[in-house]
Amino acid sequence: MTTYIARRLVQTVFLLFLLSIILFGLVNLAPGGPLSAYGQGRRLRPEQAELLKRQFGLDKPLPLQYVYWLVGNDWTRVDTDGDSVADAPGSRLGILRGDFGFSYRTRQPVLDEIGQRFPNTIYLMSITMLLALLIAIPIGILSAVRQYSLFDFIATTFSFAGQAIPEFWLGLLLIIIFYVWLKNPFTGEPLLPPGQMSSLEGEFSLPDRISHLILPVLTGALGWVAWYSRFIRSSMLEILPLDYLRTARAKGASQNRVVYIHALRNALIPIVTLVALDLPYIFTGAVLVETIFSWPGMGRLYYQSAVERDYPLLMAVLIIGAAFIILSNLLADVLYAMLDPRVRYSE
Amino acid sequence: MSTMYRTLALLTLISVSMLSLLGCQTTSSTPTTNTTDEKAIKIVISEDPPSFNPMVADTGFDALVMELVLLGMTDVDPNGVVFPELAAELPTLENGGVTVDEEAGSMSVTWKLRQDVQWQDGKPVTADDVLFTWEAIQNPETGSWIPGIDSIESVEQVDQYTFIVNYSAIYPGYLTQFGGEQIAIWPAHYCDATQGFVAWDCGRQPLSDGPFILQDWIEGDHMTFVRNEKYFAAGKPEIDKVTVQIVPDDSVRKTMIQQGDADIDMWINVNTINDLKDSDKAKVSLSPSDRFVMRLFMNQAEKGTVDAKAAPHPILSDVRVRQAIRMAVDVDTLNNEIFFGLGHPQWTEFFRPPYNNCDVPRPVYDPEAAQALLEEAGWTDTDNDGMRECHGCASAAEGYEMRMEFITYAEYGEPLELTQQLIAEMLGKVGIQMELTVVEGSVLWADAESGGIELSGNFDVDLWDDGYAGVDPTDFLWELYSIEAATPGYGWNLAHWKNEELDALIDEAYTLDEASRQATFCKMADILDQEAPVILLFTVPNADAYSSRLEGVQSSINDLVTWNIADWKLK
Amino acid sequence: MADLAAIKGTPEFPHPLESQVNLFGNVWRRFLRHKGAIGGLIVFGLLIALTVFAFVSPYDPEASSLSERFEAPSAAHWFGTDALGTDLLTRILYGGRISLAVGGIAVGIALIIGVPIGAIAGYYGGKLDAILMRITDAFLSLPPFLVLILLAAILREVEFPLFQRNSVFTISFVIGILSWMTFARLVRAAFLTLREMDYVNAARALGASDARIILGHILPNSVGPIIVEATLQLGYAIIQEAGLSFLGFGIQPPTPSWGNLLSDAQEHFIRYPWLAVFPGIMIFLSIISVNYIGDGLRDAFDPYKMLEKVGEYT
Repeated sequence: MTTYIARRLVQTVFLLFLLSIILFGLVNLAPGGPLSAYGQGRRLRPEQAELLKRQFGLDKPLPLQYVYWLVGNDWTRVDTDGDSVADAPGSRLGILRGDFGFSYRTRQPVLDEIGQRFPNTIYLMSITMLLALLIAIPIGILSAVRQYSLFDFIATTFSFAGQAIPEFWLGLLLIIIFYVWLKNPFTGEPLLPPGQMSSLEGEFSLPDRISHLILPVLTGALGWVAWYSRFIRSSMLEILPLDYLRTARAKGASQNRVVYIHALRNALIPIVTLVALDLPYIFTGAVLVETIFSWPGMGRLYYQSAVERDYPLLMAVLIIGAAFIILSNLLADVLYAMLDPRVRYSE
Repeated sequence: MSTMYRTLALLTLISVSMLSLLGCQTTSSTPTTNTTDEKAIKIVISEDPPSFNPMVADTGFDALVMELVLLGMTDVDPNGVVFPELAAELPTLENGGVTVDEEAGSMSVTWKLRQDVQWQDGKPVTADDVLFTWEAIQNPETGSWIPGIDSIESVEQVDQYTFIVNYSAIYPGYLTQFGGEQIAIWPAHYCDATQGFVAWDCGRQPLSDGPFILQDWIEGDHMTFVRNEKYFAAGKPEIDKVTVQIVPDDSVRKTMIQQGDADIDMWINVNTINDLKDSDKAKVSLSPSDRFVMRLFMNQAEKGTVDAKAAPHPILSDVRVRQAIRMAVDVDTLNNEIFFGLGHPQWTEFFRPPYNNCDVPRPVYDPEAAQALLEEAGWTDTDNDGMRECHGCASAAEGYEMRMEFITYAEYGEPLELTQQLIAEMLGKVGIQMELTVVEGSVLWADAESGGIELSGNFDVDLWDDGYAGVDPTDFLWELYSIEAATPGYGWNLAHWKNEELDALIDEAYTLDEASRQATFCKMADILDQEAPVILLFTVPNADAYSSRLEGVQSSINDLVTWNIADWKLK
Repeated sequence: MADLAAIKGTPEFPHPLESQVNLFGNVWRRFLRHKGAIGGLIVFGLLIALTVFAFVSPYDPEASSLSERFEAPSAAHWFGTDALGTDLLTRILYGGRISLAVGGIAVGIALIIGVPIGAIAGYYGGKLDAILMRITDAFLSLPPFLVLILLAAILREVEFPLFQRNSVFTISFVIGILSWMTFARLVRAAFLTLREMDYVNAARALGASDARIILGHILPNSVGPIIVEATLQLGYAIIQEAGLSFLGFGIQPPTPSWGNLLSDAQEHFIRYPWLAVFPGIMIFLSIISVNYIGDGLRDAFDPYKMLEKVGEYT
């Protein structure tokens, strides 16, 4: 097992390296560039464009930009004042030494930017996924046990509906219903806030936090509920006809015991791995939900930097996101091996 | 332990760790209790300002918050009149503040600062701060570029409250040199010059000499500002607290202001203006003067090239075609239908006071005449497919189809897209087929190397709203129409239209002699009207929404809505 | 315990060499027993018919009629009119062509890439398998929606044959290129099992070429999960296009798509709700119906599932 994990980790490093080259190329070769973001109010003069390119390190050939991004440029000299003479040592350390550069937009270190948004996204996404699981597990089990019953039909339709409604559309609809139309009968205020993580006034309060969570979590969770409940239903369906359950039944175990103890514990194994596979979303966030509900998370940060071509920020989110995905895959495989006695990794 | 329990234990562990995040969430730092008599307002904007320094990345949001905490030497009011902020008075030729050396073609401007302005820490704002700011701006490594910077020879300090700017040329825009909507004076004793103008920390944690002080900033969420007790204008500001909240979605912002949950929504589009018409909670302030004009840039060089001499555009290089396009577009319909009549039709660059005295007749809308002109120019539809082809035209091969790519940008939203679609329909009716494309701003305006569509000439016709800041059009005219600005990778003469006569007139306009400027501008107006390298359509309204409990809000085309926030009152 | 013989045709474990007609005949019979799937098939068939016959509409989907802007649904305009006075029903019908085309092309591209990769990896195994699966892993390691945004932003500006700026094909390609991995994995898994089957060994012994074995013997027997997955991906692609439209990276007006009709409507959600409601319903109906079809196919392709219908365990 340890060798297996070690080998996978080595593969991860290699994979990330390859991905970083591809993504760096994609991001930088994309039409459009960061300089245009500086020219909307006043056109960028050539002198100014030169200055910005130098400050951003965009005056170097792309392969060299990649090298600087990866390992930094403090080992070499760069031209800082535009006289074409490389006169000062570079100041960047490169991502291998934890320096993801600075955001073109704010000139702040990229990791600081991410650090400010990351907790907000974990907060929203983890609650969303947890709630989705709490709803999806019972639905999935019941509709498997009562396959083709009315309940199953309704649950199936509901979960298909969850996948069939565009998130931004649902989000706006919920805002109109709960913010514009419905009022709190006691205060006359809107029933729910239209977004944001908390009210700006007043102390931290749990009811306030929860009232801000309801709409974004509902909007985000609907798709997840659909996805998880379908998955649980089908993995329960695969297990229910298996011989050992038949044996348990033959030995006189009650129907409930068979379903909830014997079947469920085996059906949960793929769920655990599935959740592990979905963990990266906790980092990358949900662009659409965050936009509609003014949630200061990673998805919005990424979208904004894609629109403005903020290369260092884009690269950081993509690479860290990819690392999360690869590690979650590894985690899923390890969990699977730990939980399912039938699976053993050789080597 | 059975698998079941391990699984459950794992799930529990995950749940508990997730839930615990609820508690350890980064909360807004200083929760303030809302006392009943505190006057607080909320501004909603779509994204964080990158900093308080609009010279770093001009998003408008930075200028919006800069107005709250930092002052420049001067600012411009909604009617285009420059007024002093830190300056004690405006230097002019008359009061001796400006001296011109006609022979050398140079000038110098003497500025006197108010002596009663102080930073929030009690230190006075002095000429040291101005010099410090200037040094930081012109640093080749970490500085920035500001209009007029190429003409400044030196800035010298005379005494604590006086400094002189020496120009190597005549620079008519000198009044907003260290002011206007973009440039502020930064505190020398607080900002760290070694971090550089574009990146210094004080750009995000500014020391205030304006009406408000930044209290906290939760990125992506909100900023709070409190009243600056040391603000120089007595009794101002009247408002105690300003919250700037980030709400990315346009519809949500609109809904919030309709519900009375927000006090300011800046830069609203015409649909929102129309939607707020009947609202009792919100009002709309329109700028009394206009700046941005929807316009069609017509590439005189072949698509994908930038040299109109080497590769003239097969269709657009004929002036008759350009005039026909102008006659075929019904500006009033566009303005009245899509922009609810809130824009104003314009047909010359010289429509803004004080340079709006040229007599240029408004072009007629006449599709029949446009068709006739196209026939005359050798563009006819012989195969009756609704699209003209070249049959004896000036600059294209026989049979060349009159089909062009028509580009605009996405960020403006629905009104611009509809305008583009309607123009294409109007041109289609006279036999010019337009293929529509909508691109991101970051692609349309990027530098040529990054594939910027405008600078690499990769379009036929391009539609967007453009105009100049401040009151002096000279730099703008140079950028848009001078021959030098048509040099690849150098300027923004997007039409790649070169006219020697106009070029000479632009040079003549760099003078402080107002009468001669007026005359020069009118000569230019005539040429531009004849040649039509760029077709002006109508101005777009600049509007901000505000809640009806606020008084004193005045939208301004020359600055952000917060330009006079110190004067706002709360009912 | 129910009588197994009560189930028509008895649970089948179709012999792979059995004629394809018979195999699909059985699948079809099982499919017909799934009520939701039949409903889905009817609704989806109707949607396709409607969009195909969109030209019957007396209105032009891209011509403005400024005197009729924002009209509520009426006898003349069943779904009302949009911001340019165009008949919304007509735009929705033409938009359906685009949205369904995006779904279809995206799935097609995913199949064209995913199936061969999975087939080759599964059939040959060894080094080739390892390399192909690492490539698949690399694509799976990309944060899906983030890369979708990035690629849409990049490719929509590229000018290349087939890739005109903002073309339908470009958007479909972006969605397809990021969703082939599931197919590759499914097909590989099926091939890993099937290649060891006796009938495959028999074919090999008779001197059949690899291509013949892959295309003629193994692929037809792994077609079930591929079709099921393809229906799900179709719905997914339609939703993706809508999400991209909302962010400004989808199909560009005036060409209508359900996604851009819906995202353009958000500005008018309160004042002119029909603009948002009708395209929303179309997206909803199309996706829910393909999901039901997929569900029915899954059951139909998997004979095990038929056992449960008897109610043995309830």
